[in-house]
Amino acid sequence: MRKIDPAEYQKRLDRMTELFTGMVKQADRLSQTRCPYRDRHDECTAAFRCRNQGVVAEGRQRQGCGHEGKLDYRSAWQSDAEARQRTKDRVERVKSQAAARRRGNGAKADPA
Amino acid sequence: MRTTTRTAIRTATRTPVDPMAELSDIKNEIVRREIEEFVTRPEEIARNVALFTRAHERMQAIAAGIIEGDDELVDKLTRDALDADHEALEVMDDGLIAGMGVVGIKFRENFIFVPEVLACARAMKAGMNHIEPILSASGLDPIAKVIMGTVKGDLHDIGKNLCIMMLRGAGFEVVDLGVDTSPDAFIDAIEEHRAPIVGMSALLTTTMPNMGKTIEAFVDAGLRDQVLVMVGGAPVTQEFADDMGADGYGKDALACVALAKKLITEKRRNAPP
Repeated sequence: MRKIDPAEYQKRLDRMTELFTGMVKQADRLSQTRCPYRDRHDECTAAFRCRNQGVVAEGRQRQGCGHEGKLDYRSAWQSDAEARQRTKDRVERVKSQAAARRRGNGAKADPA
Repeated sequence: MRTTTRTAIRTATRTPVDPMAELSDIKNEIVRREIEEFVTRPEEIARNVALFTRAHERMQAIAAGIIEGDDELVDKLTRDALDADHEALEVMDDGLIAGMGVVGIKFRENFIFVPEVLACARAMKAGMNHIEPILSASGLDPIAKVIMGTVKGDLHDIGKNLCIMMLRGAGFEVVDLGVDTSPDAFIDAIEEHRAPIVGMSALLTTTMPNMGKTIEAFVDAGLRDQVLVMVGGAPVTQEFADDMGADGYGKDALACVALAKKLITEKRRNAPP
């Protein structure tokens, strides 16, 4: 087995990075209107629930995606517009509880 | 951009390109059909026809396996090709990367979408698994090992998978912990793989605090100083990353690779001699 020249290998890494960069940019562009979990058969590949999931067509295994492709699909993943501030508060709580626990005063952990 | 691509292809070519090559000269039916059906730009047709007509039939079959996203097939064909004394760089150029080039065109033209691209990337990884021992024997180690996972309670994985695809393409070794990853699973992986970088993703504001919990678990386990933590995902911002005590935030897969390179460079620069 012949050894690989580092400079030659680097050229391949550069080529792969170039290819994948184009793909990631295309994925980003597409994500404005099309859910990334929606495959070429317009079926949902996600492992989680989404309001856009529809029925399983005859002869298929996955649920269809019912999104119309005009609005941001991500709104179907989130249930609450104020979730952001609550999340920020929870992050702070997680940190303070961990700090308190380490100090040994046994603050109760956030159950969420 | 196109000139760069052509230069890269020409650089990777070891046998002369036949200027008279035609689509019908490509022996592999799948590759031939894919180019005929999905590649429409004249310069890309010419480039792919030139590439695949000079490629060995084994390489064409590997490329076809990549295009179809068949990881088991690519695994077998790559092993067979290396056993038959094909060079690792030939397998990469004419099989794995050539196949992925067609995938990129199909994706750009909306013939396939992210789930199919990720299946093709998995197939490419299956082939690269056989190249890695040769790289290692050549003294070509990965840039660094990165552990990646979506945090506990979160089942979204596409952003993480795009990051993994980019990281591997850039030369990182990635241990993928999948979705719904508990802090303990991250800790076990750090200890098992001795990885210097951990990447966490969350797609929901409700699961994002679990990144903070996981970082706190690293502190409790005495591992925080050993690993660099990068975080990302749609609701995550630099502000949240700072709040949670992460070492860095990447807004997308491109930023993830740049961040991983920056973090590991700084860590090595600051390491005691």
